[in-house]
Amino acid sequence: MLKKLIGTVSLATILMAQGAMAQETINMWVRTGIGTAFTTLADSYNASHENQIQLTEVPFSELVQKYATAIAGGQAPDALSLDLIYTPSFAAAGQLEDLTDWVQALPYYNGLAPSHVALGTYEGRNYGLPLLVETSIFAWNKDLYAEAGLDPEKAPTSWDEIKANAEKIRALGGDKYGFYFSGGSCGGCMIFTFAPTIWGSGADILSEDGKTATLDTPQARAAVENYRFMVENDLIPAGAETDNGVNFMSFSNGNIGQQSIGAFGMGSIINDNPDLNFGVTLIPGSEGGVSSFAGGDNIVVTKGTPRLDAVKEFIEYAYSAEGQEVLAKSGALPSRLDIAEQTLASMDPRFQVAVDAIEVAKTPYTLLFNDLINSANSPWAIFTNAAIFGGDVDGAFAAAQSEMQSIIDNAP
Amino acid sequence: MTITTASPLASIARPRRRASMRQWTGILYVAPAMALVIVFFVVPLIFTVWMSLHNWPLIGQPSWIGLGNYTRMFSDARFFSALGFTAYYTVIATIAIFALAFPLALFVERQRTGVGFYRTVFFMPVVVGLATASLLWVWLANVDAGVFSSILRWFGITGRAANILATFDSAFALIIVMVVWKIVGFTMIILLTGLQAIPADLTEAARIDGANAWQRFTKLTLPLMRRTLALAFILSITGSVLAFDQFYIMTSGGPQNRMISVVYYIFNQSFVSFQLGYGSALSIALLGILVTLSVVQLRLLRVGDER
Repeated sequence: MLKKLIGTVSLATILMAQGAMAQETINMWVRTGIGTAFTTLADSYNASHENQIQLTEVPFSELVQKYATAIAGGQAPDALSLDLIYTPSFAAAGQLEDLTDWVQALPYYNGLAPSHVALGTYEGRNYGLPLLVETSIFAWNKDLYAEAGLDPEKAPTSWDEIKANAEKIRALGGDKYGFYFSGGSCGGCMIFTFAPTIWGSGADILSEDGKTATLDTPQARAAVENYRFMVENDLIPAGAETDNGVNFMSFSNGNIGQQSIGAFGMGSIINDNPDLNFGVTLIPGSEGGVSSFAGGDNIVVTKGTPRLDAVKEFIEYAYSAEGQEVLAKSGALPSRLDIAEQTLASMDPRFQVAVDAIEVAKTPYTLLFNDLINSANSPWAIFTNAAIFGGDVDGAFAAAQSEMQSIIDNAP
Repeated sequence: MTITTASPLASIARPRRRASMRQWTGILYVAPAMALVIVFFVVPLIFTVWMSLHNWPLIGQPSWIGLGNYTRMFSDARFFSALGFTAYYTVIATIAIFALAFPLALFVERQRTGVGFYRTVFFMPVVVGLATASLLWVWLANVDAGVFSSILRWFGITGRAANILATFDSAFALIIVMVVWKIVGFTMIILLTGLQAIPADLTEAARIDGANAWQRFTKLTLPLMRRTLALAFILSITGSVLAFDQFYIMTSGGPQNRMISVVYYIFNQSFVSFQLGYGSALSIALLGILVTLSVVQLRLLRVGDER
């Protein structure tokens, strides 16, 4: 009797295991605030494949700690769309699956977005692969430009121009403001939109090797002064001072004249808000030049996941011509540059500006990104709020400079 | 004779067996509670102590560093500023809560028409979660969509839209008001039970002896409420020292990191900087501080040596 029972149970187990092999559910995480590119890609994958993706959206500010605790607790998803700047830390900690042999055998490996591949590589092995590519760009509302008597087709090329335009738009009165940024200690928002105004003019906030904080430069001072001017002259909604990123896409409400946004955000506006008449250009530096932040997500696979083959199938779908088009329609730039032209051929021409930005874009490479820049209590986040809204600019520069250096020096 | 010699022996042996039986039954009865305490308090506590002796990254391999985390604490300026802010918050919040809870308790103690209604209304915010309440108040205080900013402007207190959460003083005041609104009903109920435990004839006697209302309150009510007060104080102070949600949700520790409480700092060290070992050491230090505070309070209020 007992033998019979054991026999039945083990037979059932084998059958179930085979069933699972035939049709698998992949658990994946994605952060909020990066538009709809990944969710639409997962939907279209689910519609055309037997394997299914179960997607969990995690607040962007908590994804890293949630993933780290999930790994520690053995509850990690099979794969996730990870902000590419974190790939080195997780790869260094030995928590990610090594994808080198598989990915380098793909015929289009050399066509994958190079900055994403570089950040996904640790000690010569591939741990993260480009999934969502985006850059930051400067957007202006053409209707508000026209209303304020400005040429709606002329992109601003300097901050003097941006400030003058902002004043004219604010003069329309009411809820119409000249400029917007999330200034409430949102380190991630400000590295994305404000840092390019420093980079564009040739300065940087960290030295090349990431060992020295180089915050206090004439270019950074000028960048701060530009923003301070607009705050002091009431050209920016008062809510900006405490916006921790929740209202980052304020530009889409139609009352903001100018704002630096990202390609994902642009995709969301084009899809969800097609009446908003806006143009985009590269972000001007505070003292000339242009720059951008090359951001986005790498897809990484949790080490030891039993559903590795299913994840690979999904990644190959993302890199197919169909997958690339689905991504691009939601604002993600091509992650395969070899077929980029084909992907973008049928797209809104404004995406070309975001693609051009890749040429001039930067991405800081530091294992301390969270501590230095991204967390709400990081020196960079505090600095952007204190220097732009506070009464003591010199103090803000000095405090952030020494705090950043001390974090770098005390890193374990 | 044999019976009489045998019976004492038997009567000694039997109660002993019965006593040990009773002990076992007792242990059996407290076993579930003990199991809960051991699994959810003692084991995690021991594990936290163990972790605090390591350099324990959230991801990667821990390594033994002995008391390194504890010595590091003493030169950590940010930890001390977090301690300073937490102390400041605890003092202000506790005073504010008691300044309102005591009058409220005296108000709802008397049998008057509608007392049940008042008790319910004052207690209602307590059943709202602290995180929910914080989120609610963030939106009330939102400069564009919130109601506070419009009210301030109507009354001409501020010129343009006022961003309450942007400066330390106004944001701190807002958090104190929120916490008082949220907690005062609970403290009121505790104080109310203390007030109701005072026998009416004592008050009556004091009145006949000619004590006025103030004398009756200071000489009779307060001393008789010592135990209740001790309970209310310990709950309020412990709650304030452990404050986290309101700062995390309402101001993200801002403006300019001036609202980082100790628990917030522990959270940041553990889950932003990924240094779980240091976070554990800070937690143990905080536990020590809390135990000391509670012992001092019990001593000061002389609870325990009444008889």
